[in-house]
Amino acid sequence: MSKPIYEIVDELPTSGMTVTLLKSLDFVVPGQWQNITGFDNTIRVVTGETDEQMIQQIGERAIQLYNDKSQGYQTALWIYDAVGKGSGALGAAALANKFGENFSFLSFLNRLTPKADTAQAIDLSVKLVAEIVAYCKINGIPGDSIGEFVSALADYSGESLMRMATLVSVDALLPLGPDFIEKVGSTIGGLTTDELQKNQTFDQINNEIPGGDTSSKLGFIGESFRSVSNWMGSFVSSRNLTQESVASNLKKYIDITDNKLDYVSAFLDMTTNYYEHTGVQTLARRLTERAVAEI
Amino acid sequence: MLRLKSPNLLAFVFLSLVLLGGGCYSNESNSRWANAQRESTQGVNPTATSESTQSQTASNRPPRSNKPLAGGEFNKFFPAASDGYTRVASQEKEGFAEYKLKKDGKDVAMLAVTDTVTNPEAAAKFRESTRQINGYPAIDQGSTATAVLVDNRFQVKVLSRNPSFTKEDREAWLQKFNFAGIAGL
Repeated sequence: MSKPIYEIVDELPTSGMTVTLLKSLDFVVPGQWQNITGFDNTIRVVTGETDEQMIQQIGERAIQLYNDKSQGYQTALWIYDAVGKGSGALGAAALANKFGENFSFLSFLNRLTPKADTAQAIDLSVKLVAEIVAYCKINGIPGDSIGEFVSALADYSGESLMRMATLVSVDALLPLGPDFIEKVGSTIGGLTTDELQKNQTFDQINNEIPGGDTSSKLGFIGESFRSVSNWMGSFVSSRNLTQESVASNLKKYIDITDNKLDYVSAFLDMTTNYYEHTGVQTLARRLTERAVAEI
Repeated sequence: MLRLKSPNLLAFVFLSLVLLGGGCYSNESNSRWANAQRESTQGVNPTATSESTQSQTASNRPPRSNKPLAGGEFNKFFPAASDGYTRVASQEKEGFAEYKLKKDGKDVAMLAVTDTVTNPEAAAKFRESTRQINGYPAIDQGSTATAVLVDNRFQVKVLSRNPSFTKEDREAWLQKFNFAGIAGL
């Protein structure tokens, strides 16, 4: 049996690297993210309800809904978790690749790991697909409805908006630079199914990506990235986000001595799990919203 | 009388009490939800369809299925945005549809329609209703919700998400739903 949802939400950390990373990115989406932890507390914050009997009913209904696998909540949580894990593994591969470039005796690593930019491009686009699939599992829109998701993005707020802000800042802008949209678009456009299959993040959620085979999944990934590109582009420009602004804000909270930004990105990849953390918070919020409406 | 001579022993007893207290607190915290967890994982699907036949009030319609309707069935009966409010689709699941109501860019309320066939208790609470909205029983729930039961089966609910959205606002928005359309499902 999977872990009860109330334990998962109760166990969300209140401090540590992930929380520090998210706090340091408050400047990107000011005031949008509060680190809401604890099952009871989530119910109180989301509903504004103070009636204990009603809080009990909301919690019990939320538990019932989560435990019914056909409702999709468990799959959504699994996706957030899997993407976080795949991402951490990518951090190790990308770092090994960097050493391969600097130290010729380790250059054979290039045969074992993808080039850092390619891996980062795949990771970013697979995370976007994961967001689309998890969104649809939680909110009930058909799984390959990219258009619906793009409209919903405009209304993203709270922990969901912070997750996307972190994705753009730490997984796109920081390691790939200001022209990350062109870079990733061109990488995905030239990607082979073999290269995709070797990617750890893709491998983790392969079965949940719409498409009958790797080729059509690659097509879905490309289409998803193209559809979200405009949103990401205006997100960066409207907030005047730059590699420097992200890095300098990170440095206020995290001891980064090396100014090589792709190392920083790889470091954060290995030491944080913002995707799962904010994913659990999004899920708990949506579950609560449904439960309070249904009781 | 038991006397504790050793400071170490005293510390041990004190520590044990602290740990025991902590354990009790933890168990108490968990037990609030443990029953719901146990009941919904013991082979019975708690959100599954109730076997009881739903009462019917519309005479010219065949009996409804005991399966929940698709959430998309409810969409057209939600009130349109008006008076400076905007409406954003929020969730659409089996037997459930929900919209967010926003004003000046802020979330002020949620509008929801639920098929209570998977959760008969939700319909049962309307037995305590003492008033009606547009001819259907209405109740307040907690401090943020007002709900109506349409045709003994569909719960229509408005939930405040901001103190500026009052109980009167909730009732006004409930009156904007197309209850007759929902009853005809």
